[in-house]
Amino acid sequence: MHVTLSIWQALLIALWVALVESRILGFSTLTMRFSPLMTGMMVGFIMGDIKQAMIVTAAIQLVYMGFVAPGGALPAEPCIATAIAVPVALLGHMSPQGAIAIAVPVGLLGSYLYQFRFFLNTFALKPMDKYAKEGNARGLGFAIMGIPTLISFALFIPLMFIALYFGAPVISGLVANIEHGTLIHVLNSVGGGLAALGIAVIMQVIGKKQLLPFFFLAYFMSVAFAKLDISMTIYAIFGAIFAILYVTFTSKKSTN
Amino acid sequence: MSEEVAANNADVAENEDVQAEEHRIPQPDKITNKDLMKSWFRWWWANEVPHTFDRMLAPAFCFGLIPNLKKLYKDKTELAKAFQRHLLFFNTQATWGGGTLTGVTLSLEEARAKALANGEEPISEDMINNTKVGLMGPLAGIGDSIDSGTVQYIFIAIFLPFAQKGNFMGALLPFLCFAIATFTYGYYFTKMGYSLGRAAAKEIMTGGRMAGIIDGLGVLGLYMMGILAGQYIKIQSYLKFSISKKVFDVQDILNTILPGILPLFAVLMLYWYFQKKGLKITRGLVYLTIALVVLSIFYVI
Repeated sequence: MHVTLSIWQALLIALWVALVESRILGFSTLTMRFSPLMTGMMVGFIMGDIKQAMIVTAAIQLVYMGFVAPGGALPAEPCIATAIAVPVALLGHMSPQGAIAIAVPVGLLGSYLYQFRFFLNTFALKPMDKYAKEGNARGLGFAIMGIPTLISFALFIPLMFIALYFGAPVISGLVANIEHGTLIHVLNSVGGGLAALGIAVIMQVIGKKQLLPFFFLAYFMSVAFAKLDISMTIYAIFGAIFAILYVTFTSKKSTN
Repeated sequence: MSEEVAANNADVAENEDVQAEEHRIPQPDKITNKDLMKSWFRWWWANEVPHTFDRMLAPAFCFGLIPNLKKLYKDKTELAKAFQRHLLFFNTQATWGGGTLTGVTLSLEEARAKALANGEEPISEDMINNTKVGLMGPLAGIGDSIDSGTVQYIFIAIFLPFAQKGNFMGALLPFLCFAIATFTYGYYFTKMGYSLGRAAAKEIMTGGRMAGIIDGLGVLGLYMMGILAGQYIKIQSYLKFSISKKVFDVQDILNTILPGILPLFAVLMLYWYFQKKGLKITRGLVYLTIALVVLSIFYVI
């Protein structure tokens, strides 16, 4: 099948990315961001080749299987990665593996775009505080939802459009050049280490130093048992048991 | 963050003692299940939209409460104070944390509004904030690992074979399942938080069992963070050097000393930084990125 990417198609994909990355569709956009599947489906739908798009997306999904964002810091943006990699793969009749090679670096760059959004949202804080002080519910609602959404659209639509419409033909060539270079190594290392931030933030927010041993206990359990491939549910059950034991023993002590 | 919140709270608390005696506010309307659904939906909808490094998800949480705060505080000054206190730093996970806390907070706000209307001693703004802040971290630790780490990937794994065959249902079904499941139990948590909060309002005021609950959730939250740190932070050394023709691989040496030492070191450095300087997330991000870039350019990591 011969596929092309017109101005309108590029715009529609850019709009989709803005809808997901602005998070305006509610909490469920979490899985649209973390997983490439929905973006891949939309790209396939827009470009008229759902079947091939899904096959490529499924391969990309395997790379991002199990991604989580503790405390809100996602080490890559699978949605942005897919919105670029799948059109490029469809246009160039590339293999799913070729698409992965494009998706990975684009996704790492994309995570900085998402962090940049947090920074830009700061501009909405001033009107928010002003309306809150006045007790103006309407104004407050607009400052909370309207301004950040406009910021996201202004950030993501032009960038994604330019990257897709003008960039898609060159990206595949470009990425092939950096695939094994230092640049990709740096991007990978940064992506791999960024999760530390969100975890440290939550530890600080929980703010109970005397409970830190449980963090260390869990950390070394997961390092020591890594080969056993224990599921998160089992770990959560262990955690709940430790929590119950802790509360039981400490509260007994205080009543005595 | 804690300093800022504390300073703000101290301010507000002072004003309050004077005001409580001076004027009564109109009686608040009753909060119904429909109202709880409204607040849950609005929080669910706004969730990450106004995310910033300064306040994190506080504006979204406030957005969820707006219609109910309007029902509770028909007095403009009290309403403005309520809006302002819910714009202070707040960060948690959407369903386990946000759902539960939307319910708990509404029940505390209701108790406060009623007390203000009847001229009784109200739950202080401080108390409301401390309850929120005490619960948000532990619940985030639990929710992140369950919702995004487990529930999401169970659905994706079930339907991935469809996607691999080129069927778009492989994308649509996991999304719909995740959306419906999380929305449903999030609303359940909101209702549960509201009834728990009503029962616990008195205990929260006097300390009591609430401290035990926060401690227990703190244990679970920190425990889950430890698991996530072990599984998801990928930092390892690629440094190799040779002394008299014998090649030393730094990562191998580190593994014999203490496996997983580098990711742990990164987390502890950041935690130590936050302890010393307060929760400066943007700076933490910048320093971490610089360190990772510099070290990886020279293939140290």
